[in-house]
Amino acid sequence: MHRFATWQRTIASLFVILLAAPRLLSAVDDPSGTQQPLDFAHQIALILKQHCVECHGGENAKGGFSLNTRELFLEDDMAVPGKADESHFLELISSTDPKQQMPPPGKPRVSPEKIALLRAWVGKGMKWDAGFTFATQKYEPPLRPRRPELPPIVEGRSNPVDRIVDAWFAANSRPRPKTIDDETFLRRVHLDLVGLLPTPEVLSEFQADKSSDKRTRMIHELLADDIRYTEHWLTFWNDLLRNDYGGTGFITGGRKQVSGWLYQALIDNKPYDQMARELIAPQTDASRGYIDGIKWRGEVSAGQTIEIQFAQSVAQSFLGINMKCASCHDSFIDRWKLNEAYGLAAIYSSRQLDIHRCDKPTGETAQASWLFPELGQVDPQAAPAERLSQLASLMTHPENGRFTRTIVNRLWAQLMGRGIVHPLDAMQTEPWNTDLLDYLAIHLQDDGYNLKSVLELIATSQAYQSATEVVSQNADVTGYVFAGPRAKRMTAEQFVDNVWHLTDSAPSRFDAPVSRGKADAATVENTTISAKWIWGDSAVKGTPAAGEQLAFYKTVKIDQPILSAGAVFTCDNGYTLYVNSGEVGKGTDWTMLGAATLTTRLRQGENTIVIVGKNGGDGPNAAGLFFEARINLADGQQATIASDETWQYLSEFPEKTPVHRWKPQEMTWQPVAVVPALDAWSNAVNPVAPRLLVQASQGTHLKVRASLLQSDFLMRSLGRPNRDQIVSSRPNELTTLEAIDLANNDVLATALSRGGTILADRNWPDDDALIDYTFRSTLTRNPTSAERQTLHDLFGEDVSAEKIVDLLWALCMTPEFLLVR
Amino acid sequence: MNLEQDSTTPEHVVRRDFLKQLSAASIAAMMISEPRQLLAEDDGITQPEAKADACILIWMGGGMAAPDTFDPKRYSPFESGLEVSSMLSTFPAINTAVDNIKICEGLEQIGQVMDRATLIRSAVQPDLGSILHSRHQYHWHTGYVPPQTVACPHLGAWMAKVLGPNNPVIPPFINIGQRLEGVGEKEELKAFTTAGFFGSEYGPMNLPFPEQASQSVQPPKGMTAGRFSNRDKLFRKLVDQSPQREYLSDFQQESLVRSMDNAYRLLSSKDRQAFDIELEPKASREIYDTGRFGRGCLLARRLVESGARFVEVTTEYVPFLHGDTHNSGHETVARMHSEMDRPIAQLILDLEACGLLDRTLVIIASEFSRDALIEGKPGSNANDQATFKVDRITELKHYGLHRHFTGGTSVVMFGGGVKKGFLYGKTAEERPLIAVENPVTVADLHATIMTAMGISPKTAYGIEGRPFYVTEDGKGKPVMDIFG
Repeated sequence: MHRFATWQRTIASLFVILLAAPRLLSAVDDPSGTQQPLDFAHQIALILKQHCVECHGGENAKGGFSLNTRELFLEDDMAVPGKADESHFLELISSTDPKQQMPPPGKPRVSPEKIALLRAWVGKGMKWDAGFTFATQKYEPPLRPRRPELPPIVEGRSNPVDRIVDAWFAANSRPRPKTIDDETFLRRVHLDLVGLLPTPEVLSEFQADKSSDKRTRMIHELLADDIRYTEHWLTFWNDLLRNDYGGTGFITGGRKQVSGWLYQALIDNKPYDQMARELIAPQTDASRGYIDGIKWRGEVSAGQTIEIQFAQSVAQSFLGINMKCASCHDSFIDRWKLNEAYGLAAIYSSRQLDIHRCDKPTGETAQASWLFPELGQVDPQAAPAERLSQLASLMTHPENGRFTRTIVNRLWAQLMGRGIVHPLDAMQTEPWNTDLLDYLAIHLQDDGYNLKSVLELIATSQAYQSATEVVSQNADVTGYVFAGPRAKRMTAEQFVDNVWHLTDSAPSRFDAPVSRGKADAATVENTTISAKWIWGDSAVKGTPAAGEQLAFYKTVKIDQPILSAGAVFTCDNGYTLYVNSGEVGKGTDWTMLGAATLTTRLRQGENTIVIVGKNGGDGPNAAGLFFEARINLADGQQATIASDETWQYLSEFPEKTPVHRWKPQEMTWQPVAVVPALDAWSNAVNPVAPRLLVQASQGTHLKVRASLLQSDFLMRSLGRPNRDQIVSSRPNELTTLEAIDLANNDVLATALSRGGTILADRNWPDDDALIDYTFRSTLTRNPTSAERQTLHDLFGEDVSAEKIVDLLWALCMTPEFLLVR
Repeated sequence: MNLEQDSTTPEHVVRRDFLKQLSAASIAAMMISEPRQLLAEDDGITQPEAKADACILIWMGGGMAAPDTFDPKRYSPFESGLEVSSMLSTFPAINTAVDNIKICEGLEQIGQVMDRATLIRSAVQPDLGSILHSRHQYHWHTGYVPPQTVACPHLGAWMAKVLGPNNPVIPPFINIGQRLEGVGEKEELKAFTTAGFFGSEYGPMNLPFPEQASQSVQPPKGMTAGRFSNRDKLFRKLVDQSPQREYLSDFQQESLVRSMDNAYRLLSSKDRQAFDIELEPKASREIYDTGRFGRGCLLARRLVESGARFVEVTTEYVPFLHGDTHNSGHETVARMHSEMDRPIAQLILDLEACGLLDRTLVIIASEFSRDALIEGKPGSNANDQATFKVDRITELKHYGLHRHFTGGTSVVMFGGGVKKGFLYGKTAEERPLIAVENPVTVADLHATIMTAMGISPKTAYGIEGRPFYVTEDGKGKPVMDIFG
C-alpha cells in the first residue's frame, strides 16, 4: 500500500515538472543531455509516457507488451540493458517501415533526440526508479473494515441495506424500483435461498396468510431448512472451491474432494472464518483437498505448480484477487507482483520454491509472505503447517476487511444478480456503493461470521424485494447504475432440480460422498462407536502383503421391524460393501469414512453383510477393516452391528462372481483377527464416525438434488462448469446448443413425459383446476384469463397426457420460468 | 448429397429468414461477461486472407504410430526372436501417387490421394515428463498444456468464435465419434472438449455415434412433426401472453427466446438432413462404412457440405483401445488401417468432386507417435508404460510400436490452400526416429491451421484482464512453406 502511494506520487510529480519546468523539457530535446547523468523520472519516463504508455502501459499491453515495470520492459528482449543494439524497442521506434514502426503510423514519431536519449539510457543499464510503475490504479480499496454511519430511516424502511440504498436513490435522484408482489417474492426467495420452487400448497398458504411479517417469517423458515439450504448452496461453494465428485486429476489420485466437510459446514452453518481456517490450514484430511489443488501427472509449467495453484486459489476464493497474472510476471492489471504470488505460494510449499518469470527461473528463491503485511506476516522460518495456520489467522484477522467484503459481495451477487463490486474476482475495483459493501462486511463480522445472517439481511430488505431491473442492451456501457436486482438464469442444478420436482423423477442415487441430513448434537455426543479394526491371519503372523484381498462376512438376525438404519465403514486401503448382496458402498481412500443409509437394505429376519477389503501399497503394510451399523427398531431400542472378533473372512473367494451369486453358507469362513488401531486410523475415523453414523441411521428419505450428482450431459449443457478452475458466477444467457438440448434431450423428455402422465392420472375436478396447478407449480402464480383460454383451447375436449407434457415443456422454457426474477 | 424437400417441415418455418435474425451469441456478446477480441487494426496485426472456409480434423486418438502409417522406415517382418531394438516399422512401405512419398501398406487408397496432400513428418510434442493421452490431447486441441488458470477453448471453438457459422442453422463446431461418458479419462477429455472461457455458444455439438446423429437434431423421440410444431406454437403463445411481457424489451429474456427459436429452426429445417447418413445413397454409404469412424467421415462430409465450420471426427480415444496400442500393436494398426483407409480417401475425393476441397482444410493428426523402444523422446525421464517389457519378440502380441513417442509425428493436410503432393520435414532413418528437419511444434501447427482459416496466430481475447492468444502467447509461427 505504501508503495502504491509512492507510485502515485511519482506519476503525479511527472506532470508537475512537465508544467512547471520548461527548462527540463528543452533539456530532453537537447541531445547534449546525453552527456549529463540521466534522470529516469524526468527524462526517460516522460518520453515513454508521451509516446508508448498509451498502448503499452497502465491496463494496456498491446501485442502482449507492457512497459509498466522494468521487468516487463525486458521481456522478449524488447530492451536489453547495456545493449542498445539488441533492444528491439529501439529498432521499432527508429524504423521507417510503416508495417513495423512504433508508434504506429498516424501517431507522432519519437524525435531523433529522444531516441538518442533512450539509447543512452539503455546503454547505461536502463536505470529505473525503485517501485516506479506506469500501472494505473484509480482506486485502491481500503483493507480494514469500516462501520459506515447509517442514514436516517425513510418511510419506515428500517433495514440497514435500505437505509443505505434509499439514501443513494435520494442523493442520485433516482426512483426506487417498486416492491414485488407476494407471488414473485415467494418464488424468488425460494430459488435464491433453497434452490427449489415453492409448491402450489406453499403458495396457497402464503397467499392466505394476511400477517404483515409473513415475508420475514418465510425467509427465516427457508434459512432454517438446513438440508434444502445446504444442498442448494453446495453448488455455489463447489464452484468457488472447485470441488467436484469427478473431474480432471482424480484418475491419477492427484485430487481430493472436500465434499463431506463442505456439506457438514453448510448444514451446521459453520462460521465463515472457521470455514476459511479449516480450508487454509486443514486439521484433518476432510478439508485438505482445497489447498492441495489438482496435480496432473508429469511436468507442469512453473505458473501451475501445486504451490502456485494454492496461491491463486486462496487469493481468488477468499480475497477476490486474481493472482493468475502475477504468478507468471508482475501483473499488468493490478498491483500484485510476481514475488508476492510466490510469497503466498511459499507459505504452502514444503520445498524450496524458485521464482520463475514466464516459466524461466529468475535465480531468486521465494520467501513465505502474505499479501497484506499491514496485518502481520507469516514466519518464513516456521514449518509449513504452522505457516498455513498463521496464514489462516491473518486471513481471518478481525482487521482484514478484504476477506469479509469479498464474501458478502459474492452473496449479494447471488441474490441480486450483480456484485456491489464487479467483477466478483476483481475486488480492487471500486464498489458502486462503498457504504453498502462495508456495512454488509461489518454485519458479517458482528454476527460471528454467520453467512445466513448476511443472506437474511439482504433478503429482508426492500432492495431485494423490489422489481428486477429491465436491462437494456446498453446497460453498463457508461457505468453501472443500481436499479434493483437483476434477473439471473436458473443454474443447471436449479433447472434440473425443479424439473425433477415437477415431474417426480429425481434419481435414486447420488455421487457426492456425503451423508445427507443433519445430526442432532446431543445424539452425536451420546453415540459411542464400538467397532474394532479387523483383518485376517496375515495381520497376526506378520504384516499383510500389498494387494492382499479378503472377503469379510457377518450375518445378523433382526427380530423386529426396522424404522431406520445406517452404517459407517472404511478399510485400509479400499473396500466394497454389500448388504444382503446389494452394493451399498465403495471406497479407495481409507481416510474418507464411508456412510450409507440402510433403512431399505436391512430387513427383519436374517441379514448378510459382505465386505471385500483390499490392502494397498508396494510392500507389506498394515491393513484393517472398520464397520459399524446402527439400527433403530420398532420398539424404540437400537441395535448395533460392529466389526469385531465374531466376524469371519476368506482369502480365497470367488472374486469374479457377483456377490449375489455367492453361497456364503457353503463357504468355509475363518474367524478374523482384531488388529490394534493405528493412530492414523483412529485420527481419521474417530472424530467423524459418531456424527456420520447418526446422520446415516436417521435414514429419512430425501429426494436427490442435482448438486449431489456428477455433472451430466444436460447440466454441462446448461452451464455447470468443469470445476478445473474456480468459478464465481454462472452464465446468464441461454445458447442455441443449450436450447437444442432443452428441445430434444432424452432425459428431459422422459422426465416431462412422466410428469405429464402423473398429472393426467390425477382426478381433477375440472380443467381449470389442472390449469391452475400447472401455472402455480411452475410460475408460482395463477394464469391470466388469456392464458387460461389458451390452455382451454389446447385441452379441448380431451385432456391427454401428451398435451400436459407439451404444456409442461412450454412453461418450463419460458423466460418467466428460466429466470430467477 | 441428396437433399430432398423435407415434407415434414412446417411452412412457416421455411419462410423465416434465418440470416436476418440476430443470434443469441451476438446478443450475449453485448453482455459484459463476454470476452472481447483484443486485436485491433492499429496493432498492426491483420487477419490473413482465409484459404479455407471449413476445417475437418481427422483425429487418430491414442497416438498414431508414424512408422506404421505415414512415415515408413526399415521394415522388420514378424519373426520369433526379433530384437525389439531393431524394430522400426511393422509394415512395408508402398508407393503413392507421388514419386517421393511412400507410406505404409494398408493405406493404399490414401496413397492414391496423396497427390492432393501435404505430408508433414516433423511434428513434435513435449513429453511433459509423463504420458497421459488426454493431457497431450488437451495440448494439441487447445494449444495449451494443462493445467491452465483459465478454461482453454478447443481450436474448433476458436473457429466458431472468430469466424462464426458458415450456415446459421448448422452449429459451427461439431465433434463426431468421441464418447465423453463411460470411457476412461473422460473427465480429462471433457476438459478440452469445450469452448472454455468463450462460453458454450461456441462449444461442440457432440455426436458420439454418427448413425444416431440425426436424433440430435430431431424433435424428441416419438414426437410427430405436427405435435412438435404445435408445441412450439404453444410456447410462443405463452411467451407472448406472459404478464412478464412488459419486460420483453429486456434483452436477456429476448435472448432466451431467440435461442429457443434458433434451436427450433435447426430442428425443423431441411438442413438437419445433413445429420442423417441414412439419406446418403447406399453405394456411397457402403464405401465409407468401415465402422463408426468411417461413418463419422461420411457425416463430416455431409455437414461441411451443409455449412459446418469445424468438424472433428475421431477414431475415438479410449485407454488401451484403438490407437492406444500398448500391446498387439501390429494387429491393431492393421485393423486401424482398414478402418481409416477407404473413408479418408473417399472424403477427399468427394470433397474434390463437389468442388469443396480447395476451400476445406482436412487434417489427419494425433497427439503423438509411437516407437518400439523409446518412451517420450530420447533422454526423456517419462515413465515407461509398455505392457510387455521384452527385449526379443516371441509372440505376435509383442510385435508393434508400443511406447509413446513425442520426437517425430506425421500430420497430413489436404485442401485449404496447402501444396499438393508435398513433403515437409523429415525424421531420422534409424532410431531415434526424431524430426531432423523443420520440426513443427504444436504452436506452429496451430498457427499454420489458423492462418489457413484466416485467423492470425496472434489473435487474442481478453479474459480476466489478460490477453489469451489462439496460439500459446501469440508465438506460433505458421509454416508458410506448405501453402501453394
